[in-house]
Amino acid sequence: MPVAVELKGVSKRFSRGPRTRTLVDAVLGWPRRLMRRRSEDGLLEHEFWALRDLSFQLEKGAMLGVIGPNGSGKSTLLKLLFRILRPETGQVTTVGRVGGLIELGAGFHPYLSGRENVFINGAILGLRQREIRQRYDSIVDFSGLREFMDMPVKNYSSGMYARLAFAVAAHAEVDVLLVDEVLAVGGASFQMKCYDWMARRRKQGVTIVCVSHNMYVINSASRCLFLADGEKQLEDDPPRAIERYLETVQARGEASLHMFTEAVGGQPRAEILRVELLDGQGNELKTLEHDSTLLIRFHYLIREELECPIMALTLQPDDARFPVQVPSHYFFHVASGTLLKHRGQPGEGVVEVEVPQVRLPVGTHRVNLYCFNGSMTHPIWVKEGATRIEVLRPIWSDRLSLMDHRQQWRVLAPEQQR
Amino acid sequence: MLADVKETWRYRELIVALAMREVRVRYKHALLGIGWAVIMPLVLMLVFTEIFSRVASISTGGIPYPLFAYTGLLAWQLHANIIQGASRCLSDNSNLVTKVYFPRQVLPASVVLSALVDFAVAALLLAGLMAVHRVTPGWQVAFVPLVLALQLSLASGLALFVSAANLFYRDVQFILQVGVQLWMFASSVLYPLPSQGVFAWVNLLNPMTPILDAWRYTLLGAPAPRPESLAAAAGLSLLTLVLGWAWFRRAEARFGELA
Repeated sequence: MPVAVELKGVSKRFSRGPRTRTLVDAVLGWPRRLMRRRSEDGLLEHEFWALRDLSFQLEKGAMLGVIGPNGSGKSTLLKLLFRILRPETGQVTTVGRVGGLIELGAGFHPYLSGRENVFINGAILGLRQREIRQRYDSIVDFSGLREFMDMPVKNYSSGMYARLAFAVAAHAEVDVLLVDEVLAVGGASFQMKCYDWMARRRKQGVTIVCVSHNMYVINSASRCLFLADGEKQLEDDPPRAIERYLETVQARGEASLHMFTEAVGGQPRAEILRVELLDGQGNELKTLEHDSTLLIRFHYLIREELECPIMALTLQPDDARFPVQVPSHYFFHVASGTLLKHRGQPGEGVVEVEVPQVRLPVGTHRVNLYCFNGSMTHPIWVKEGATRIEVLRPIWSDRLSLMDHRQQWRVLAPEQQR
Repeated sequence: MLADVKETWRYRELIVALAMREVRVRYKHALLGIGWAVIMPLVLMLVFTEIFSRVASISTGGIPYPLFAYTGLLAWQLHANIIQGASRCLSDNSNLVTKVYFPRQVLPASVVLSALVDFAVAALLLAGLMAVHRVTPGWQVAFVPLVLALQLSLASGLALFVSAANLFYRDVQFILQVGVQLWMFASSVLYPLPSQGVFAWVNLLNPMTPILDAWRYTLLGAPAPRPESLAAAAGLSLLTLVLGWAWFRRAEARFGELA
């Protein structure tokens, strides 16, 4: 396959000092700047290498997942590929048009209408006005904001803003697509739409470089680059890179959920004793049909009075080997919310949730159970892999949205008190 | 440089879109809308007409003073708008400069274009004033595009320079507010400058005076500027454009970090 992206010995240097100075600083600092010397590794005072001697090649149509702890140079790498930054040493080569989902809605002006902004944003993304006119209807349909197109975007909600911006970006033609974490801004269903769209682009032969903390996305890459402190640690198939990454992250103390678990005298303040997975008729389930009804029954025990305890459950695909750092909303995720408000008295109880349409990736799923305090800051009790359930039939469709579960919560026992 | 021109041309629609955004935003919530483009030069013209008719008398070579002043202000306004707009164009659009790739000269170029829109609107009033004063331009009016091109090459060169400079030192935009005012009073915007003595040298170094004189020559039939000072102005303007361009190209590598 022809090479679409190539980096050769690329290094990028940044300064920790203030980025802009005044003329007075410049004049007064001039003699000092004549005197200063670069240290052995080519750095001045306050400077550091954001990326060091990075080389890799990416074939056309491949997808590179980039992972690494914060500050490891992931975003710098994307900006270098996008020609926003220039490297101090080395060469960056990209073939064809480079586009990015780095900044959604670049050039949006709050006072201008959605329609006007579509044209400006499209032009910034390299579309001709004629091309935007041709695609205008499709862009508007994609965003689902037809009746709001004449409204100034300052009156948009942040979700509407993101949807319109993404709709334009999705209609730009690119050969190399750069995706940054920014996609995390939208809600979960919006994110799904983004990742879905990305998967379709990839099938069309677009080369993708994607920075993400979502290991599910990284896992779908054809190759994975693990960065730490600006240096390439590993370039490998995703599962191995993810494993290495998780080891590093855990060693650094960015720890797993378990470490937050509170305990009272060796015993947690609350706990889920048992969970039942039932179908619409109340029969126990081992397999789950796509689009069918799922009934989840939590049997819990509260040992010590709690402010609005929350019972939650996530389903995690079994082939995903990463118990931490994965935003759980990517998975099927249900929580009782504040249903148990004021009902945190000690004792046993049962709550039930009904999910009318289950939409999950096909395969075996581990069922993880959580008990949170009302603010959802940290779990009081966690049990991962409590049981397993098999999901039948793949459901990667355009309308896929794992979060569109119209959940219904009911308290079964003890009797609801008002 | 030819490759740069080509790339800029490829992005011409973006230049237009950004200029239109600027114009739209500026006038969207203004009661008088685009009429504001006329008000500034009009008010200044009226004030100075009062001053020079009551307090001090001034010789404008047979040209009605309001026309003399308005023509000067019209051309100067274009010049000042470009320079001051350009000084902020990269720093104000830092979300674009640090997040999206497109040739960076698109931003100062769109400033030039949006200033030209204001210029065109304000020029309509000049036509009206000329009709009132019964001044009809002669055959020299054919040179207007040339004069405009000359002034734009000077302004564009400066625009490229100050837009980049303001990223390195944010005081540039404030210095310019004072500097552009001083420059106006050192040019023949509101009054003719003598062409003898020390002014012969000042005029030789300040390309704007011959350019302003050339505007009045082509539009109002005023005496033509001296050929040598016009030639010097042309040379300086082109030099400014080339140097501004070279500086912009050199500085561009760091825009992504500085904006």
